[in-house]
Amino acid sequence: MSVLEVQLSKTFVPGRLRHFSIDVEFRVSAGVTVIFGPSGSGKTTLLQCIAGLLRPDKGVIAIDGELVFESVKKISLTPQQRRIGYVFQDLALFPHMTAAENIAFGVRENGNRRADLVRDMLERFSIAHVAEHRPGEISGGERQRVALARALVTEPRLLLLDEPFSALDDSLKLEIIFDLKQWLEQHRIPVLFVTHDRSEAGALGQSMVVMKDGKIGAA
Amino acid sequence: MSWQAFVLTAKLAFLTAIILLVLGLPIAFWIAFSPRRWKFVIEAVVGMPLVLPPTVLGFYLLLAFGSGTAFGRWYQHLTGSTLAFTFSGLVVASVLYSLPFAVHPMVAGIRAVDPRLIDAARTLGADKHKIYGQVVLPLAWPGLLTGVVLSFAHTVGEFGVVLMVGGNIPGATRTLSIDIYDQVQSLHYSAANQTALVLLLFSYFLLCLVYGLNRRSFMWAGR
Repeated sequence: MSVLEVQLSKTFVPGRLRHFSIDVEFRVSAGVTVIFGPSGSGKTTLLQCIAGLLRPDKGVIAIDGELVFESVKKISLTPQQRRIGYVFQDLALFPHMTAAENIAFGVRENGNRRADLVRDMLERFSIAHVAEHRPGEISGGERQRVALARALVTEPRLLLLDEPFSALDDSLKLEIIFDLKQWLEQHRIPVLFVTHDRSEAGALGQSMVVMKDGKIGAA
Repeated sequence: MSWQAFVLTAKLAFLTAIILLVLGLPIAFWIAFSPRRWKFVIEAVVGMPLVLPPTVLGFYLLLAFGSGTAFGRWYQHLTGSTLAFTFSGLVVASVLYSLPFAVHPMVAGIRAVDPRLIDAARTLGADKHKIYGQVVLPLAWPGLLTGVVLSFAHTVGEFGVVLMVGGNIPGATRTLSIDIYDQVQSLHYSAANQTALVLLLFSYFLLCLVYGLNRRSFMWAGR
């Protein structure tokens, strides 16, 4: 059973952005933890620090006891080394690749095994019919599924979801959340699910932390 | 139109464009991605031919090719001849002179790639080579192709540097633009007009290609 431990702070220098800092500490185990908060509260910054796309000023990030970031010992694994799945708010699908190619991008295995993994994800997330289509040619809900499948096919130790469903209507949203929950029943990893939408938070979250002005408060 | 000058110009432009693709691409990647604060110094060096009079560039190249410099002596030692007033010298001069025309569109093409896509590739475990090869290059290709086409066209049209470095030797350094100048000097206006018209149409065709390509690049944006 995976555990994520986070204790970090980061301040943005005034001048480039408005003065802004985050300072958080929490510990989550497998299952979905919702990070709920208004926009501008530092949720995305927090996810980027955990994924290794941004470097915290100081702190500790550990997954299953392995330090992926530690400021005093100067440990900072690259995003590639961290094995963390990340679904971006705008999905960041590769526009020049088909859905299947997008999903295959992060797969380390080759040949038949690779093809099997991709096919399995396409079926699991009900997007086999758009496998050969590019992101520009499929619907918003299908794109969301491709992004989710692309992040999960690499078997990450932790999944970060940055408001990936905010552009969808409620029924589509619930369908995808249902598929994700099914996947999570077989893969016991922690999921941080960032949202500012209460209905989403309720549908997916088992526990919730509230973030405001860069700090974590009581739910 | 002088067929000899035409073939020579085409050969020069092809070689220059190919060399600039190989040489310009790493420079463009470095300019686009390097976090170094002093990189504007290198950008300025690359951009110099945009503002420098071709005669100035040609003059210093002539000096550099001569036996007065280590480079000139090294080249003479290696090949037994000097670079000045030779086709090889023209290629070196053209590569330098067209450098910004290749590098600037390449940098623009690379910078136009959404940084989120690079972040996504990193979280998916892709190393630098995979990110460059499978994400950045395929999305930046209109910029890369624009750079190659523009450096080709710019080389076809260069005059001052060619005259300074290559002189006017038929079959070795007399390009189409020098040929036009020659014909006008000897009052052969209809011959000059013929060559000039070919260059005019050719330039227009290439620019249509460049703008057409860049219009197509919005294809991916239709998400």
